Amino acid sequence: MYSAEISRKNPGCFIFLLDQSASMEDPFGGSSDRRKADELSTIINKLIHNLSIRCAKGDNIYDYFHVAVIGYGQDTVVKSAFDGPLTGKDLIPISELANNPLRIEDRVKKQDDGAGGLVEQSVKFPLWFEPKHVGGTPMSGALKLAADIVQRWVAEHPKGFAPIVINITDGESTDGDPTPDAKALSSMGTDDGASLLFNIHLSSAAGNPIELPASDEGLPDKFSKQLFEMSSNLTPFMIARAKELGMTAGDGARGFVFNAQPTQVIQFLDIGTRPANLR
Amino acid sequence: MNEPLHPITQVPFSVEAFSCQKHGNASTEYEDAWAIRGSDSPNRCRVAVADGATESSFSALWAALLVESFVRRRSTGPDFFEDLGAVRRLWWGKIRKRKLPWYAAEKARKGAYAAFVGLSINAVNRAWRAVAIGDCCLFQVDGLTLKHAFPLTRSEEFGSSPFLVGSVQKPDDDPRSHVRVSEGTFNGKDTLFFASDALAAWLLRRAEKGEPAWEWISAGVQTPQDFELLVAQAREEGTRNDDMTLVRLARRAAPKNGT
Repeated sequence: MYSAEISRKNPGCFIFLLDQSASMEDPFGGSSDRRKADELSTIINKLIHNLSIRCAKGDNIYDYFHVAVIGYGQDTVVKSAFDGPLTGKDLIPISELANNPLRIEDRVKKQDDGAGGLVEQSVKFPLWFEPKHVGGTPMSGALKLAADIVQRWVAEHPKGFAPIVINITDGESTDGDPTPDAKALSSMGTDDGASLLFNIHLSSAAGNPIELPASDEGLPDKFSKQLFEMSSNLTPFMIARAKELGMTAGDGARGFVFNAQPTQVIQFLDIGTRPANLR
Repeated sequence: MNEPLHPITQVPFSVEAFSCQKHGNASTEYEDAWAIRGSDSPNRCRVAVADGATESSFSALWAALLVESFVRRRSTGPDFFEDLGAVRRLWWGKIRKRKLPWYAAEKARKGAYAAFVGLSINAVNRAWRAVAIGDCCLFQVDGLTLKHAFPLTRSEEFGSSPFLVGSVQKPDDDPRSHVRVSEGTFNGKDTLFFASDALAAWLLRRAEKGEPAWEWISAGVQTPQDFELLVAQAREEGTRNDDMTLVRLARRAAPKNGT
């Protein structure tokens, strides 16, 4: 299980769900100047950025993955979160996404100079998503739409790697208990395994970040415990890869994080030899 | 009676190479590399195989530059990895002027990576010395018997994230602490095989199961088609879909009288 090759001929599928409800305007992690919506846009932009870099090969980008990004907010609105030239699209190849950011900023990055110092280097920094926060939180509706996309994907790729759905939210669903929809989503899959649902919980509560726990012990509130329950177990390969990347992940670890930026989750899938010293 | 040292005019080794790209890829996307120098020399022969990492960009170029650099130099030990400055500059010089989209430029800045094994053999006393980083392997086989495997010796040692040689020097990324060195002597009936990781893992797995494929990769692989059949069998047995390379170094058959 979970051993299907991911390649251009057998691409993987990522579906990101973005909570764009009004509560995301609240402070993040006890911060006075950073909102949960800011944290969410940072995370999703980094995830898309890292995924694009991972798929870059020579002059090109290989379509190892197809990606959908669904926004949910405004009480009942669940739709593609893409703006600009990608508006309205759901599942698209990573190359289309990488080549169509909303804008590209020029930023300065400090890098090791190899001699104990730092040098400043100008880099292009693409952005696809801006912070949004309006209305209620139709998380169940978002999971239903994700299930529709998963159903379509697995019908077209029955032997491929199972789709991965990553939900980024503060957990306060306003259209009912999302747990049954999460279960329905996780019950669909390919011959290689059931689809995987991971949750990234952004909370206003202060506290240490929690990554990939195996139990809900220590989680601060009912929302985080509910999201933990909805989250799939990591596959053995993912647990091994998480450990290689310096994350704490034991047996039974689930795809759940609390107030952390789990941008390394993009590395959890195998697309070929990955140098241990590539950073 | 001991074998005499070979006459100075006799070329002692035959070296052959076979390669196959990942299934579904174009042959231009092959990212392993091999180089041979001195197989026509009575004094020494150098062989290197490198495997450019899938998850890095321009790694075929890096692998090719590494093996070529090794066979052209004289170093036989870890010092090869202490002086990669020139080959790294060569790699970057071929990349830096390209006009790349943002993702390709950032990936290129991270550098290319490759596994590497290189061997130098003295044709007179038949002593060999090999260096390796990563999971490209060397096997010394006597007929049907594996005498030596280097640097990995068991199939379960192969993983998807080995430490590899990088084309960009980084302060916390010194390859020297990861270099493995091995030495041995080449006897008359021996064959030395060099294999990139997927093939090496399959060869060890076959040997561990009591179904060694040493004879197959000796006499059974004479043409590219033979090698493709072998690769197809390895993949049929569950070997990961990867580029595969085999280099075979054997004692050249003595010329018959009158020929």
